[in-house]
Amino acid sequence: MGEVKEKKASKPDETSEEGIPGVITTTTSAISDLLKKTKVQDLINWGRKNSLWFMTQPMGCCGVEMIAMGCAHYDTDRFGIIPRNSPRQADVMLISGYVTKKYLPALKRLWEQMPSPKWVMCIGDCSISGGPFYESYSTVQNIDEIFPIDVFVPGCPPRPEAMLQGFVELQEKIKAKKDLGSEY
Amino acid sequence: MDVAEILKSLTDAFPEAISEATAESEIRAGSYVDKDKVKKVCQYLKDSLQFDHLCSVCGVDYIKRNELEVVYHIASYNHPVVLTLKARLPRENPEIESIVSVYWNANWYERETYELFGILFKNHPNLKSLVLPEDMLGEWPLRKDYEGFPNKTARNLV
Repeated sequence: MGEVKEKKASKPDETSEEGIPGVITTTTSAISDLLKKTKVQDLINWGRKNSLWFMTQPMGCCGVEMIAMGCAHYDTDRFGIIPRNSPRQADVMLISGYVTKKYLPALKRLWEQMPSPKWVMCIGDCSISGGPFYESYSTVQNIDEIFPIDVFVPGCPPRPEAMLQGFVELQEKIKAKKDLGSEY
Repeated sequence: MDVAEILKSLTDAFPEAISEATAESEIRAGSYVDKDKVKKVCQYLKDSLQFDHLCSVCGVDYIKRNELEVVYHIASYNHPVVLTLKARLPRENPEIESIVSVYWNANWYERETYELFGILFKNHPNLKSLVLPEDMLGEWPLRKDYEGFPNKTARNLV
């Protein structure tokens, strides 16, 4: 990008503003050029896709893989994907298990508590179709009629790499958005 | 105290309530109990025969015989015998006395049997559904003639 110079505080002939210890100035105009030459839509999309905070709401054994994905080994932080404990701070909800009839109202409430723009991913066969419990008396089928699912990640359970791939696909999807996010 | 001695004591104490008392092995005994006397029988088992541990309460639907059965597994900390008590109930109006006052841990077992089979436990302190949502009460999903299974296939897989 550009070279970064750290001003020495010991130089006596500099101006007083540059003499503040710890202040780093840059000689490049890359940030300024980016702001001038990029469309606002692209800039918003760029910001959104690189800060996908997901809600830690594990619902089954896929939730264990989800937590493993968020931990240090797979390190989703390099994509800006970090786990959050509150739906108020989350951008992505992961449905990571079978949805029972009793749990569906709570899940809907969590989804409504998340501020827009927000996305939802289906993790694992159970959440996509019911999995091995598809014929159970207490399982809700066809979860895509209830939530606007963005990405499906099949697997039983999917590996953390597969979930990471799902997040990358979601980033591609966000990158191609042509709206300001008011109707999410 | 071995299994023959236990069954003899039980049959002598309740000659009209206990039927088909059999010893399946050295450590397993089974018997049918009259549905009106189940609380007294359990009290007797706990007080006199050292059966102080209720393992489970569950239900079975015998739709061809038009009967429901409640199955109690009762064991002991002092001798190795596990007793399987069964009570036959009519399928139309299944009611049985609750044994929570004898074995306190029967509380949740009976609530689960109630929500899955519709067996009404009389004098239960808090008879409501345990795991299922409230609006599924009355469907009795583990009965053999239950119709409410989801019949839609997952469209996104087909």
